[in-house]
Amino acid sequence: MDAGLLQQMLLGALLGLSVYLPLRCGQLSLASPGFYAIGGTIAALLSTRLPALGGASATYPISSVLLEMGLAAALTGAIAAAIGSVVLRLRGIYLAIATIALVEILRVITLNLAITGGALGIFGIPQPFNGPEGYAFFTAALLALVCWLCDRLERTRPGLAMAAIRDDELAAASQGIDTAQIKLLAFVLSAVVAGITGVVAAHFLNSWNAKLGNFDASITTLAFVVLGGSRTWLGPVLGGLLLTALPEVLRPVGDLRLIVFGLVILLGPLLFPQGLISPERLQSLGRLWPGPKRLGRQAP
Amino acid sequence: MNRRSRQALAALVASGIGLAACSDQVASGPINLSKGVPVGAVLALSGNANLYGQDQKTGLELALASINGTGGIGGRPLALSIEDSGSDEPSANAAFTLLINRGVLALIGPTLSQQAFSADPIAQRRGVPVVAPSNTATGIPEIGSFISRVSAQSSVIAPLSIDKALKRNPAIKRAAVFYAQDDAYSTAETVIFQQALTTKGLKPVTVQRTQLNDQDFQTQISAALQQKPDLIVLSLQGVDGGNMVRQLRELGYRGTIVAGNGMNTPNIYPICQQYCDGLLIAQAYSPELQTPANQTFLAAFKVAQARNANARNLPARAIPPQLLAQAYTALQVIGDVLRRLDQKQPLKTLSVAQARTALMAEILSGTYQTPLGEIRFSKGGEVIQKNFFVAQVRMDPGGKTGRFALLP
Repeated sequence: MDAGLLQQMLLGALLGLSVYLPLRCGQLSLASPGFYAIGGTIAALLSTRLPALGGASATYPISSVLLEMGLAAALTGAIAAAIGSVVLRLRGIYLAIATIALVEILRVITLNLAITGGALGIFGIPQPFNGPEGYAFFTAALLALVCWLCDRLERTRPGLAMAAIRDDELAAASQGIDTAQIKLLAFVLSAVVAGITGVVAAHFLNSWNAKLGNFDASITTLAFVVLGGSRTWLGPVLGGLLLTALPEVLRPVGDLRLIVFGLVILLGPLLFPQGLISPERLQSLGRLWPGPKRLGRQAP
Repeated sequence: MNRRSRQALAALVASGIGLAACSDQVASGPINLSKGVPVGAVLALSGNANLYGQDQKTGLELALASINGTGGIGGRPLALSIEDSGSDEPSANAAFTLLINRGVLALIGPTLSQQAFSADPIAQRRGVPVVAPSNTATGIPEIGSFISRVSAQSSVIAPLSIDKALKRNPAIKRAAVFYAQDDAYSTAETVIFQQALTTKGLKPVTVQRTQLNDQDFQTQISAALQQKPDLIVLSLQGVDGGNMVRQLRELGYRGTIVAGNGMNTPNIYPICQQYCDGLLIAQAYSPELQTPANQTFLAAFKVAQARNANARNLPARAIPPQLLAQAYTALQVIGDVLRRLDQKQPLKTLSVAQARTALMAEILSGTYQTPLGEIRFSKGGEVIQKNFFVAQVRMDPGGKTGRFALLP
């Protein structure tokens, strides 16, 4: 497989996780592309405008990328905390609409600011790696880290509280769970994941513009979670990997490829309403093949 | 669950390491000539820029037939693979990478300047020559030493149509400008249009901003018409531009309309129909050019059109649009250069990387007789073209089809 495609798939998986986190506590937030755009813009601005970050060597230093990721995480986290405490009072479809509005506002601001290059965006973003292989390695490590954190989260108190809120918010609140705080935590984590993903994506794509974090991206990333499943972190990872790869893998089909892609998105939720991966399905798979060697093969 | 998750993580990291270990082995190997000399093209065949990609595909197919009909490259056919880049950057990047990994010697595309800013650096890093057939934004050849274009940049062409409008009607005093603020091409071109207007002493009385995917422009049009403009300048793409022209006329505007390169395709006819009539658009291609290269191109175009029209029961287009001619030119340049290179150093003796580097040097050093006239390239890869024109759209009485009539 081509490393460039793998890199896009890994970015898709990270974005899937970002949509998954609020959805895990029952919050339909479509704000991820907005935070992704903030992360990308920070990386594009810092790496093209601040020569000090460039260092002496031909490739852009990884330490500067990590610095950008840190800044993006702090900024997206702070913005999410500020906005989240207001919009998370909304529920269901109203929250979705409010987050779409957030994505739209960010897009219009980016389009109209001179510093972000308007519609043309920012280009000539320096490269920390010589080829897509380096990016894929870096992003795989990042994805592994985020997956590990999600896995830890799912088995600790805040993660269990999130599942409780998803199942019944009223019951969860009556058990003493601070639902507002837990929902805000999920929203902030989601924003941080999207923000650091944006940093990597900006370097990988060479250029950054407002179109990359628009409403279309909201829907695509939501499809990752719907197809993969929203009950455990493996679902959005698989959904993100699969749906990003599919249009490219289908290239030999020619003109029909986008139709086939649409059919997959349509049939996936029809045949697997809970998503491809659910805890029950994982358990039954585990019973079928108990050997540790085989188990490893279920991984994406 | 705990153990399973750890194994999943381990597999993920392992797959990453495994991939990172692969490197670019195609470039150092010999050229795969089994199916012909490999060249790639990346066009917007889907998404909102697909109107352009379709024209470009026809142009490339005509050029391919012409090259292979006249002996190919030293007896071998030219093998062109066309990949869809959608109208977005990640798809363009993926298509570029795919073709480069397949070992193509040169690339044509991508369709949009915005895609070029993202995909061209990949070709530059991998040392693959790119000939852009339709990127008009400033700064494209500057992306790197392997990037060139046959499409003259909009800062050269766009002001010509304004000069022509003023020559035809010197009484024009009030200009209104429209552009799509979320589109790279539109925002870049409108700056050039507005500068050209200001130099002529026609500072725009109003500048209206639209969105690329807008269908309805009543608000902006009403606001603009209140200023009583007698010249309207549009930097819009095919679909939104066609709708804009239609709605401008329907809402009663009777003055001159100048459009930018985004509407420089006959595919706007079905959108604005009889209302397209009278539109002024600057051209980098003239079908009336009396050179052997252009006559060959026109003859091939007519044959293909007649066949196509019979097959689909459509009226044949009289003349080829600029995008089609530019795409033809791009592949013709690559074909000419491959022939020259093959005579100097037979392709089968070169590695892919050597052939790519030699090809780029040849592209920049040559002079080409093309449908666009005689062209050559600057050291930086910018096209040097002699003649530009201004055309007016003339629609047939039914409003179904029309033509770009060159103005003297």
